[in-house]
Amino acid sequence: MSTPQFDLAAYKKVGMIQQKQKEYFAMRLHAVGGDFSAEQLQKVAEVARKYGQGQVHLSTRQGIEIHYVHYTKLEEARQALEKAGIAMGACGPRIRIVVACPGGSTCRWGTIDTKKISHELDQKYFRQDTPHKFKIAVTGCPHNCAKATENDLGIMGGILPAWRQESCTHCDLCINTCPTGAIDKRDGEYRLDETKCIYCSICTSNCPNDSWVIAQQGYILWIGGTMGKLPRLATRLRNLIETEAELYRMVEKVVEYYRKNGRKRERFGHMIDRLGEAVVKEELLNG
Amino acid sequence: MAEAFKKSLNLHGVACPLNFVKTKLALEELAAGELLEVILDEGDAMLNVPRSVKEEGHKIVKVTPEGETFKVLIEKGV
Repeated sequence: MSTPQFDLAAYKKVGMIQQKQKEYFAMRLHAVGGDFSAEQLQKVAEVARKYGQGQVHLSTRQGIEIHYVHYTKLEEARQALEKAGIAMGACGPRIRIVVACPGGSTCRWGTIDTKKISHELDQKYFRQDTPHKFKIAVTGCPHNCAKATENDLGIMGGILPAWRQESCTHCDLCINTCPTGAIDKRDGEYRLDETKCIYCSICTSNCPNDSWVIAQQGYILWIGGTMGKLPRLATRLRNLIETEAELYRMVEKVVEYYRKNGRKRERFGHMIDRLGEAVVKEELLNG
Repeated sequence: MAEAFKKSLNLHGVACPLNFVKTKLALEELAAGELLEVILDEGDAMLNVPRSVKEEGHKIVKVTPEGETFKVLIEKGV
């Protein structure tokens, strides 16, 4: 049988990826923070049954893929999904689906509205071209469940605590549960070493007397994380950005900087290492 | 200030949430204001049990590290 001709690049852009069984494609679906409605999941199941082999694959980044869709059925399958409000995903050198933990909506540790942030970023950036693949994750707090530090751009909620002497009964729970040993006690007073604090909110949440309070709250921005063949954990760019507007301004700056300086097929983190972390940070923060 | 506790519970090696369940049951046997001492493991136990104790209206009075465990003194709430 003759090999069918496809515009593979156009397919790939919307997450339709040719399998090694060349007549078959994997359909990668759009998602934001891994949220799907029950109705959408039912539609996914229906499409997988009708056009695939009745099997779905959950990706490592909260996405869904339907494998083994024959090339003659691709468009039909795509339309069926789109009618149910499920868009196609992305592949290749562009901004991929945004990963997010549930954040403040349901998690007791979440300090930011990860769903809102991830939807905003999805609307603005999803599928846009970049030098190489570009992955964004939004995680509600420094527990880092959504692995912000393994993504090209990571947004993490955080709080800076402050101690209130008046209500404190000096039980030492804070000293003994701070994950980085940032709290110690001198001359009868608890002190926070801000260079050690990771803004995690364990002290403010657990203090029996609410003597640790939130002094500042915001978004921590991480850049240049990646897994893959050359793994690299992200670099902390800025701590506790206090407004959403400022966060988006920084995100835009980061994406633009990568577009301008990244070489073709060079991941953002590797670009940072090539140019020098200090240089990149300086230009992003003060340039 | 040495506090006299009414009961002591060694929860070393007891995982969440059983460690909190045992703490809660022990607290039920105490009168308001009385003290319970529990030995908790570092890590998840220390992150979860004191928080749950707080949510139930009791109070952590003192935490003292002891090797890989912590001695936690809890005052039963009203």
